[in-house]
Amino acid sequence: MKGSEVRTDVGAFYTPSSENDISIYIHIPFCERKCSYCAFVSFCLDKSEREKYINSLLEEIENFSTPKKVKTVYIGGGTPSLLTKDEIFAIFSKLREKFDIVENVEITIEVNPNSVDEEKLRAYKEVGVNRISVGVQSLSNKTLKSIGRLHTKEEAIEKLKLIKKYFDNISADLILGLSGEKSVTKYAKELIKLNVKHISSYMLEIHENTKLFNDVRDKKYRPLDENGMAKSYDKLVKFLKKRSFKQYEISNFALTGYESKHNLNYWNYGEYVGFGVSAHSFLSHKRMANADTLQGYYKREQKEEKITNAMEIEERIMLGLRCCLGVDISILKNLGYDIQKSESYRKFLKEGEIVEDDGKFYLLPKYFKFADYYILNLLP
Amino acid sequence: MKLENKRNFCIIAHIDHGKSTLADRLIEMSGTVSKRDMQSQILDSMDLEREKGITIKLAPTRLIYEYNGQEYELNLIDTPGHVDFTYEVSRSLAACEGALLLVDASQGVEAQTLANTYLALDNNLEIIPIINKIDLPSARVDEVKKEIEDVIGLDAENCPCISAKEGLNIEDVFKSIIEQIPAPSGDENGKLKCLIFDSHYDNFKGAICLIRVFDGKVKKGDKILMMQTEKVFEVTEVGIFVPTTKECDILKAGDVGYVAGSIKTISDVKVGDTITNADIPISEPLPGYKEVQPVVFCGVFPVDGAKYGELKDALDKLKLNDASLQFSPENSTALGYGFRCGFLGLLHLEIITERLEREFNLDIITTAPSVSYNVYKTNGDCLEISNPSNLPPAVEIAKIEEPVVKVNIFTPPEYVGSIMELCQDKRGEYKNMVYLDKRRVELNYRLPLGEIIYDFFDSLKSRTHGYASFDYEFDGFENADLVRVDILLNGEKCDALSMIVHKDKAYSRGRELAERLKKIIPRQLFEVPIQACIGNKIIARETISAMRKDVLAKCYGGDITRKLKLLEKQKEGKKRMRKIGSVEIPSEAFMSILKLGDDER
Repeated sequence: MKGSEVRTDVGAFYTPSSENDISIYIHIPFCERKCSYCAFVSFCLDKSEREKYINSLLEEIENFSTPKKVKTVYIGGGTPSLLTKDEIFAIFSKLREKFDIVENVEITIEVNPNSVDEEKLRAYKEVGVNRISVGVQSLSNKTLKSIGRLHTKEEAIEKLKLIKKYFDNISADLILGLSGEKSVTKYAKELIKLNVKHISSYMLEIHENTKLFNDVRDKKYRPLDENGMAKSYDKLVKFLKKRSFKQYEISNFALTGYESKHNLNYWNYGEYVGFGVSAHSFLSHKRMANADTLQGYYKREQKEEKITNAMEIEERIMLGLRCCLGVDISILKNLGYDIQKSESYRKFLKEGEIVEDDGKFYLLPKYFKFADYYILNLLP
Repeated sequence: MKLENKRNFCIIAHIDHGKSTLADRLIEMSGTVSKRDMQSQILDSMDLEREKGITIKLAPTRLIYEYNGQEYELNLIDTPGHVDFTYEVSRSLAACEGALLLVDASQGVEAQTLANTYLALDNNLEIIPIINKIDLPSARVDEVKKEIEDVIGLDAENCPCISAKEGLNIEDVFKSIIEQIPAPSGDENGKLKCLIFDSHYDNFKGAICLIRVFDGKVKKGDKILMMQTEKVFEVTEVGIFVPTTKECDILKAGDVGYVAGSIKTISDVKVGDTITNADIPISEPLPGYKEVQPVVFCGVFPVDGAKYGELKDALDKLKLNDASLQFSPENSTALGYGFRCGFLGLLHLEIITERLEREFNLDIITTAPSVSYNVYKTNGDCLEISNPSNLPPAVEIAKIEEPVVKVNIFTPPEYVGSIMELCQDKRGEYKNMVYLDKRRVELNYRLPLGEIIYDFFDSLKSRTHGYASFDYEFDGFENADLVRVDILLNGEKCDALSMIVHKDKAYSRGRELAERLKKIIPRQLFEVPIQACIGNKIIARETISAMRKDVLAKCYGGDITRKLKLLEKQKEGKKRMRKIGSVEIPSEAFMSILKLGDDER
């Protein structure tokens, strides 16, 4: 059996970034209210604080230069749909002024159903946004309320219909493992009806210092257990497969051609620059992280780490196995790791859990659920 | 100095009654070590000794003290205060004329107080009771005096009452040493007769014998004969301890000091051996010598199999200084190449394994400790088995003998019932019970050593909230109905988890171990049955259900660093895992046999 027959092949629509390409991430830390599970850097800011942030963000972009071509832009948060029309224009005119943005660039913005409206959608269209990622999370009003989301099921459906008028490339997020939600396939089914072409479905993670963490600790909230989580994940994978959605990463499913190029760039070890509080960059074998407090960010505090060969080997294995891009054997070899000599590697290959194809090896999607196990066993 | 102005003494006490603190105070007040160089508990030279508050290696020191216008030379021989080292204690007592019996003013007489007193009496020492920690609010000096008189039978009427910590009444101690302990007798013109009471290894001088000279004299250039090993060495150096070594010209009858003689291996220097002059030897050695035998055994394996050589070097180095440590290569299907090590007791085991980790920076896995059994086979052979997996098949065994110990337990009366229950449960044979006074009962039992090393001490401590103390001594071998319980993981035998247990307990221990392993072994990609069996008979079964997922979902630009850190941590954890067939087991699992029964407490 040829490897490409059993693994998800992205070759048809995705050209991996070259050394001359770069991706841009912009972090918008605004929120109307913090969701109970959220561990991202976000704040409820007043008008003057927001202005200060946007100005600082524009200045940060202004001070960065690169000759590389921008292939993707991603505005994440927080809640980027809280940006006003003017703020959107300001950010994009700065980006276009500073960077060489390719013709077929992918530009994504994350939106929340309650804060996105027709005026903003027109503005997105005007600045070149061509992909919308909607934070749906669930289509049960009870569930949405229990995790502190500000929108209802009806609002989400209404906004998805509105978005469909302006955009073709729509992604929606669904959380797996929320209390009482043994299956989310019915939501996926509804989303597909609403023209959603891409679904990101994350297993609920409970981080310290979140409201949810306390609720779970105090037994006020009971998420699904490991078995329940695994079952709902299996159901979703099976359902989406039937609906021609390809699982191109552990938690990401898309109709052909609608994969997130921005995220594929992360997994393909491509370079990226992040602007905004807590944003990360990966440039010339260094990972930089902006401060995760506003104060620190305004002072341009940054942590930097040089990626050694040993780290690169681990990162490449980790990132490549988690998605359909696979891991390049000769790159590992050049970095000093001959994985084909590894006992675990040969065993997984023999058992058919990983496949080798065109000088790369891949973890088959049906084993994505155990990715950490395979990664750990394949490290040098 | 004249013999009349010399005193050789030691301090004996139950653990934590303040032995090392008193030694510090005596050294300090005699001006032997300047205040500047004073380090708390100076005689405990190893970090571990200071941390655990115990003395492992003996460290003698010479104190010069002026009393009534005369100078006295007081040789203090510190003793290890633990039951594991009873033989060493007895030999260092044999080097003295007197002993200070230190008793905590709030704790009173404890098991080791008594055990050590008996040892001192065996060696005909003058015993001076001293009550320590009188500064404590809980001190009950008069009661403790009465306990000493009633329980031990020593006159405590006018004994020194001190606080070693606060330096209170230390002069009384000096006074008692000088006035009550007899000066050493001996003929310095007679034939050389010395007792080796300890030894250690010096990289430059070779093995060093710590000696007490009873008769004659010894100096550099003399030829000496070790009477037990029958080895002859030329003395390259003699000296005293102040408390660091200081070379001197000669050691004479009554002196405590050291001799070195380019002795390359420490096993040529046996504690308890007699040294005499090779040219004019004495005919009879000093009495009391015996060969120390390890009683507790366990497997020691490197976590990283490639470090086998390093582990061997480390054990060789420790052995240089510790003749009682034994080890031989061992191969386990579960743990790879390592060593079967023999120790004097559980504390000795703990000290050695901790030193391997700390001083030699080695990550090691130790298996559950075992005792050594005498196994008589049907064909007439007799084997000594200290590794359960070496036990021959049941059909080939005629009988098995296990080591037994005499146990003395001191406890407040309210715990007697609970302790008797514990001893019963550990297959103990009741011997005697004495109400020493209204606060204290002494219980005597005979117990299999295998049960003591299992979890006896922890159980005793928790049942009596730490108020009971115990002491034991070896009391021969006895027939026992023992079987080996094996553990199968996913159908494969894990040799490092086998245990030898009494037949009546095999079922419950097997079940407990299977349950515990279920908790310790993480879920695998497939279902893992855990079975306990005797021979081919399964006696317990647990199942670890298969892992349902092993993945953290998000991994975008900002998550990569964090995830890599997490992965590094998991990788470290994985290094401590061992594989039995396809099942990964964390290294703690191999010690889990010891923790059986914990859950009930």
